Formats: sequence, C-alpha cells, structure tokens
Amino acid sequence: MTTSLQDDTLDPIMRSFEHVLSQLSGASFAGKATYQGRMLDTIKRLLKHPSGIAAIEPRIGELEQAGIFEGTDWAVPSSLVPGMVGNTLRMAEPRTVALECISLLRFLAAARDEKAQPSLPTEHARHFLAQVLALNLDRILGAHHEAARIKAGELDSAVDALLKHILANVGTEGILGQLVDEVWRILRQRPIQVDHVKSMILQIALAMKEEGQSFSASDTRLGADRLISALFGPTELCREDPGLEVYRDRLGAADTGTLQAEATGMARAMHDTGLVSDYHAAFLRFVLESGQGHLVSDALGLSSTGLDSLRCYQALVQQLIEVAVRQGTAQAVLGIALMLERGILYSPPIAPSLWRLLGARLTPTSESALIAAFGADPTPHQRLVAGVMMLLGLPLGIGQGNNPTCQAARALSMWALNDPDYLLWQLAQATSNDRVIMHFEGQSLDSALLPAGLALHTPLDADPVSVVLVPHLDRIYAEMGRLVAGRGEDPHRWINPELHGWWVGREFHIAVDVATGKLHAYDQFIRDFHKAYHPFHNGNEPVIHPQPAGIAVTDSQGSFIGWHAISIIRVALDQSGVMRVYFFNPNNDSGQDWGHGIVVSTQGNGERLGEASLPFEQFTSRLYIFHDDGLKTASEVPVDEDQITSIRELALQSWAQNRH
Amino acid sequence: MHTKDQQKGYIAILGWSLRCIDALERFDRRYVIVAPQWAEDYATQHDIPFISWDFERLNDRSFELATRLNEMGVDVAIPLFEETVEWAGAVNSVLMGNPRLLGQSMLFRDKSLMKRRAQLGGIRVGIFEEAMDQTDVIRFLKRVNQTLLKLDGDPNDPIHFKAFDKAGCLGHRVIRSPDDVAAIADDEFPALLESHLDGWEFAVEAWIKDRKIQFLNISEYVTLGYSVFVPATPELEKYRAKITEQIEKLIEVFDIDFGFIHPEYFVTNDGTMYFGEVAYRPPGFNAFELMERAYGFNAYQALVLAFDPKATQEELDAFFPTPVKDAKGHAGCFGVYPRRRVVSELSIPPETENDPYFEFHELAPPMESKVTKRTAFGTHWGLVYFFGEDPHRLRDLLKAQEDLDFYL
Repeated sequence: MTTSLQDDTLDPIMRSFEHVLSQLSGASFAGKATYQGRMLDTIKRLLKHPSGIAAIEPRIGELEQAGIFEGTDWAVPSSLVPGMVGNTLRMAEPRTVALECISLLRFLAAARDEKAQPSLPTEHARHFLAQVLALNLDRILGAHHEAARIKAGELDSAVDALLKHILANVGTEGILGQLVDEVWRILRQRPIQVDHVKSMILQIALAMKEEGQSFSASDTRLGADRLISALFGPTELCREDPGLEVYRDRLGAADTGTLQAEATGMARAMHDTGLVSDYHAAFLRFVLESGQGHLVSDALGLSSTGLDSLRCYQALVQQLIEVAVRQGTAQAVLGIALMLERGILYSPPIAPSLWRLLGARLTPTSESALIAAFGADPTPHQRLVAGVMMLLGLPLGIGQGNNPTCQAARALSMWALNDPDYLLWQLAQATSNDRVIMHFEGQSLDSALLPAGLALHTPLDADPVSVVLVPHLDRIYAEMGRLVAGRGEDPHRWINPELHGWWVGREFHIAVDVATGKLHAYDQFIRDFHKAYHPFHNGNEPVIHPQPAGIAVTDSQGSFIGWHAISIIRVALDQSGVMRVYFFNPNNDSGQDWGHGIVVSTQGNGERLGEASLPFEQFTSRLYIFHDDGLKTASEVPVDEDQITSIRELALQSWAQNRH
Repeated sequence: MHTKDQQKGYIAILGWSLRCIDALERFDRRYVIVAPQWAEDYATQHDIPFISWDFERLNDRSFELATRLNEMGVDVAIPLFEETVEWAGAVNSVLMGNPRLLGQSMLFRDKSLMKRRAQLGGIRVGIFEEAMDQTDVIRFLKRVNQTLLKLDGDPNDPIHFKAFDKAGCLGHRVIRSPDDVAAIADDEFPALLESHLDGWEFAVEAWIKDRKIQFLNISEYVTLGYSVFVPATPELEKYRAKITEQIEKLIEVFDIDFGFIHPEYFVTNDGTMYFGEVAYRPPGFNAFELMERAYGFNAYQALVLAFDPKATQEELDAFFPTPVKDAKGHAGCFGVYPRRRVVSELSIPPETENDPYFEFHELAPPMESKVTKRTAFGTHWGLVYFFGEDPHRLRDLLKAQEDLDFYL
C-alpha cells in the first residue's frame, strides 16, 4: 500500500492527469496531437512517482480511448516489434519513453485480461512482454553499463521499476532461459557484489516452483538448478532448504563421514558458481565451534597452495572466519578461500595488517557509512572484514556501482592484486582517522581537507571497502586533477603514477591532442603500444604489474560515449592462438558490446576470473592512453603497416570519427 | 464531428491554429479555415474545410477573398493573428456591408493611430510619439526625462520602443540610455515611443456583442513578457468596476459592435488607469488556455459566438460563466527564455515539476545550442502551465520561475 505522504504528492499530479485526460479525450482529431504532448508529460510525472504505475494501470483503457496513441507508431499494437522497445526506452526523449511505457502497460493489461484489448490476444501480449523482458535483462538485473550510466535519462529508474513490475506480473516463463544464461555469464566474472544476481536467482526459483512443468528445456533446467541449489540447498543435509536452525541440528547429529561430505559439497557448489549459501557459512561456524577445524580446508575447497597457507596461518584464518563469515556475509567464504590460494599471506606485512584490521575500531563516520549501505547486522566491522576478504580474494571482482568513480575502483583492484599491504594501510587510515593522506609530487594531500570529487555522496551500491575508501580516493583524485589543470596535457600522465603506485610506467602515450581533441600521431601511438605490450614485438616480455590505461568507450553502434579507466592485466595467446589483451574493467559488467563487432569477452577465451578480453587489434582500436615503463626491449620486432592501418580504420569508424 | 446547425452563422477563420480548429470541430457552427498554403495538405488529409490564402500584404485581393466567402454563404471572418486583423476588417466590411469595419481594423493594427484615437476619445494614455530614426528616440528619451525634472547624471526613466504593427512583445525594447538606442537596427523603424508608466500592468480579454461586454476577464501579469494568470488576485479584481468602465469607453471610442478585444492597461498607485494598447484578436500568451482551465469554457467557441451575427443573447448568456465566482481555481503560465548563452538540453527544474501547482509544459527541446542574444522582448521558447487555488501562491510561484534554468 502507498503511504499517505506519497498520496499527498500524487494528488496534484492526478488532478493534472484528470484535466489533461479530459482535454485529450474531448479533442477532435485536429486537437489530439496538440494535447498528446502534455498528456505524456503528466504520465511522465506519474511514472516517476512511487505509486504512479499503480495509478496509471487502471486508466490505460481510457488513455487509449482518449487517443494517446493516435497518429503515432504505437497506434496498432499488433504491429509493434519487441526488439525496438529497449532502444526507445534507453535513447528516446522523455515523451517517447513515456509513450513506450504506456504501450507496455497496454500490453500488460491485454496479457492479464482477455477483454482489455480485443485486437490483442492474451497470448500475443504475454509473448511480446516476455521478449521485451528478456531483451532488457540488464535493466532488470540492475547491472549498470557505462553507456547507460553516462546517458542516464530522467526516466531510467522509472523504466526499471516498470520492467520489474511487468516481470512480477507476467512471470518469468519464456525468459527464464535467457535469464539463467545471463546470471551464469555475470557469475563467471566473479563479482564481489552478487545481491542483484541472488535476487534474480530467487525470481527464477519462484518461477520454477510455480511453472515447473512447462519449464522443461533440460540444459536451462540444469543451469537453473545449479544456481538455485548453490544458494538454497547446496548439500545433502540442506537440499530442501530446511532453514538454518534445522540445518545446525542436523549437523550436530551427523557422523564424521556426513560432515566430510557436507564440507566437500559446500566447496564444490561455491567454486562452481561463485555463490556462497548461508548454509555454507553456518557449516563453517559449526565446525569451528565444535572443534572440528580440520574440516575447514575441505569446506573452503583448497588446493595444496591454499591448504599450506591455511596451515601456516591457522589462527588468523579462524579469526577471520569467526568475524567475517556470518549470515548475510557468506560470500566472504569465497573471498577467504581465494585469498589463501593467492598465497598473499606469505608476504610479511599482510598477516599483521589483517590482525590490525581484526582489532580495529571504526570511526563513527565509517560505521555510519557502512550501516547506510548495508544495515547494522552484521556489524559494520564484520561487514568490512568480509569486504576485505572478498576484495583480496577477488581483486578483479570489484565494481564501481552506479558511481562515476572508475578511477577509485580501478585503484582498489590494482592494490588488492598488486600491493595488498598498501590497500590495508589506506583502509586503516580511513577507518581510524577518517582521512587518507597521499602525496602528489611531494605535496601531501589530505582527503579530510579536500572538497568532494566526482561522486557527490558516499556510494551505497558498492562493496564495503569501496564504501569506506572511495569517497577519500575520489577527492584525492579530483585534487590531483586540479593541481595539474594548467599543464595543458592529459592529467593522467601525472595522476596515474602518483595515485596508483610507483609501478605505473612513467612513459605516457596518448592518442589525441588534448587541446583539440583530435587524433595526434596515431600511427605512432599504435606502433608504440605494440612495442610496449605485444609479446611478438617487445621481446616476449609479459606485463609485470597491472597498468592503468584509458579506453574510448563506444556503444553497440560504435559511437563514442566517453573516456573510461581500465587496467591491463596481461597480454597472451588464447587457446585458439589469438593474441589477446586481458584487462580489468571497474565497470560492474565487463561483457559489453563496443560496436562494429567488438564484443568484450569475459569467458571462453582464456580469461581468468574477473578478466575481460579482446583480441589485441580490437583492444588497441579503442585505446587512447597507456603507460610504458621506458625500459628498452631486448629485441624489437617492427609492426606491420597493414596491422596499423586496420587498427586505425577501426578507430576512425567509431570513436575517432570526428577527430582526424 | 459535431453536427452543424445550418440556422446558425457560417464562420471563416483567418489563420491556422489546431486548437481553434479543434474547438470548431466540437461546435455547432459551420466553418472554413483561411490559411497559408503550407497548411493545405494537412487540411485536405483531415477533411478540414480550407481555403489557401497568402496574407503577406493586404491588397486588392481582399475583395476577391470577401467575394469568395460571401458566395459560400459565410457570415463573418474572425482574425486569429495580428497579421490577419485588417484582412478580417476588409472581408467583414464586404460581408456585412459596413465599410467602417475596415477603417476600424486599421486602427487596431497601428499602435500610433490607436493611441491617438484613444486620446481623442478622452482615454488616459502615457506620453507617446512616433520615431522615424534613432535621433527621434534619443530626443524623446531626453524630453521625457526633462519633464520628470531629472538632472544630467541622474539615472534616466526608461522609455518603451514598440514596432507599430507587431503582436504583443515582438519588437518591444526598453530604452534607458543612448547606448540602448544605438542597438536598434534601421529596419525596426518606424516605431512607437512611449513613456514608462510605473504601475501595475494587466491585460483584459473582453468578448463583445451588440456593443455590450459579454464576458470580461482580467489577466494579471506577474512580470511583463514572462508570466500571467487568470483570474487575477482580489487586489486587482477590486478594480473590476473601474476596468469595466474603461472597456465601455473603448467600445465607444473604437466603435466596436462585436468581436473580441485584448487591451493592456496600467493602474497606478492612486487607482488611475492608463491605456496601453488594444488588439482585436486572441492574446499571444495563451490566456485562452488559462481561461479554459480556470472556467471550463472554450474561449475559441466564445470567439465564434461574439463574432457570429446570428448568435443570440440567450445563447451567449448560457455560454459564459460568472467572472471570478465560477472559476475552479487560478491558472497561470510562464514563458521560458533560456538564461544561458549555450544550451544543449531541456530540463524541467525539479522544484517546478514537483510543485503541486505544476501541470505541464509546452517547451521544445533546443534546436540549436547557441542562444540568440535577446535584444527586444523576443519570443519565448514555450510555456509552462500551473493551476491552483491560491492566487498569491501562484503569483509567487510564477515569479520564482524567473530564477530557474529550463535549458542547460
């Protein structure tokens, strides 16, 4: 039900709605067009209102009668094409978006009630909506693409809400297959944040329960079953999702063999999907509490490397589990397992840093930021420790959320990968002093004294470490930008090494002239990139540290969207012999279509968890900034002119179109 | 389509307006639209009775048009836009066999003649003069300020510069200094100069039939050229009796038997009314829409009744509501001008869109990013509409819009 507060704000909109609707319905054919615009404006306001959809729904018939669709492409619903809906919702001006929304609600009315739309059979309407939903899963999943975020329209969240509303009404049948594939695709990137994925799996589970019979496509069924069981019943003792209490009772009564089977079953489900069930967390806590710590390594699914780490740092790991692994932070189990596998505990400062973290007392500011983002249970400290575990285990799983802070997210991922000690130091500064101090060309920058950067408020849709650190890093990044503003060259030349670390190459290459935005010595830029990164041209030297790079992001049509920060992780041949750049995109979902056949791959081409990849040429065609260490390569191999030409052409067709 | 009553008048509308056509489609009078050729395709497609006509210059062809309309059995022509006012006068003088109507329409078309006629009739107007070139403007500015006993160096009282024959605020400049004069292009002359009257400016819409006011609306300006609302605040409505007297005077002086007038006045602190100008056509700032919102009657249909010689007094009485008393609330609109020099998108400020009085807007997304510098009171980029119960709140709300950016 709506609250009275919402009704207060709804009333005046409804008053306008009634007035304009009466004008529209009273209008003759000549006046229709002149009243449609204002009708759509009123509908737009309603859509943005929390109870707006509920208010419009019963009026769809009236709106259609009044002539809202008259004279438009939406006039004949049976001729509409589902494939075009997504683009309209994304790109069109607000009135057209509002019209498309009304059109969807008309389909929904038809899908629910045979009599609502005589010309639109229920079956057709349902099928149409299912296709629309399947084609717009990204919006339902809440995965924010760079393109969508930059071009965010005023109606975007209203449209998301509408699609979810339609999903709730139409059900997931028919789109389940696509949904399942999409969830798997995202999970294979091993994101730290899986809440939206979990909620989709819940949808799938509910749908399958309801429509179990009709949902028979076996592959999909299997894929969906694995997802659902990983979350709700990964092992024998919790197969039917009995609830945590019953599960603990069963554990208490289980014999050694059963417990052993539980441990391996839990681990298998976790490593298979990247999802950790709350039962898994309960199991770990049970074995530690009942003095059966020997089961931990099996429950974490450790290899000999991980097992060795665990044995060396048993007390620390047990304490980390004790603090971080709780109901609500079960994903930390995966973090801990993968962190142990990385062997980073052997680096001398890491274990003591983690002990410092375990003993840390958070400042009220840090606590309230964590509570605002995640709630008070588990406690902010437990939440943060879990966050650190996930970040250290999945350095490439971090995402910027819906925030313009790709630089900060990239820095966090780089430190987690390359310099976890430094990351833990930054975090300690922030949690105990509410400030992060970094240095820029000798000058110290104190985040507590700096004005806000790109993000106007604390990111709430990010992981715990980001929630604490990003506001500081963002301010420091912005301040560095101000300090170099007058230098007439791209600021990242100086900012990248100072912000990220000494290992960022000091030789800076940029493809465009900063003053004019035009391409500048582009062929040389391409050649230089080959010499610096392409193993066939640089003496087979691997990428040693992750290197920041700048990408000209393009949309699926190949048009320029904006500059984006990524890091290059490795360059290597994939299993089919194609040289690929493997990189990290701080964006939440790396699998993006950059147009003209350049589709970023996230699996199946030799990617490690969290990596995105493109063939070297395709990657180069979207690159505009990279760093090089300036060391002479042992044996340089010249780059073919053909190769340079084809890369140049790819760039000129897309982002560089008006830049030459 | 509404059934047409053959016993009632047959109306010709001079000018193209979809809102007007819509009103006529829903009314019982037969009608024909006389409008430029570019509208012909649309009219043919939608079965709108249509005569294609070029209104550029009034010439001998006005008789041709009048004859043609006469043969069709048309009773009266109604002008929609400033440019068609004298065409309507010419046509009606033929249709009604009354040559005086052409002369009368010429008075409405020439701001200087109009003022003189008003003055001759004993209506109070400000000081005014015709200007043929820039020197005339400078002399008038100096003379007015001498009259006000200003010394050299005192800030000047402004004067107003208006094109003779343009509607509303088009070509209207406020002149404060000789520098402002230098910015006036030669092709803006001749023009009318007026002294500035300090006071409360408002407009009146009056439907007249048989020399009698059938309905009188007072439109209160919040800021000239920006915002107006209907009905006015009680503070302005208290002058209604006085205003009615003024309109009756106008009817006498301009010899108006029927039709619709849209005069502007100033009322000074002591309650004196100064006549500004009068137009014989619907107002530009969409007061028709506001009246429909406030009172619920269609002002275009009212226009037809006021012009149609076959309309009866009973019909008129039944059509019009009682001013102020019958209003369901106050309706206002705000004309948006971009405030920045370079704009890229239309963006309704949240404080506007979330206001309970906000209704809708008719703003177009920007066609080009560079905003032409506003020298005169130019044409706004569209209107934003509000409706609510409290006239004072509405007034303050309209005023507040002036500080907001609708184009970013």
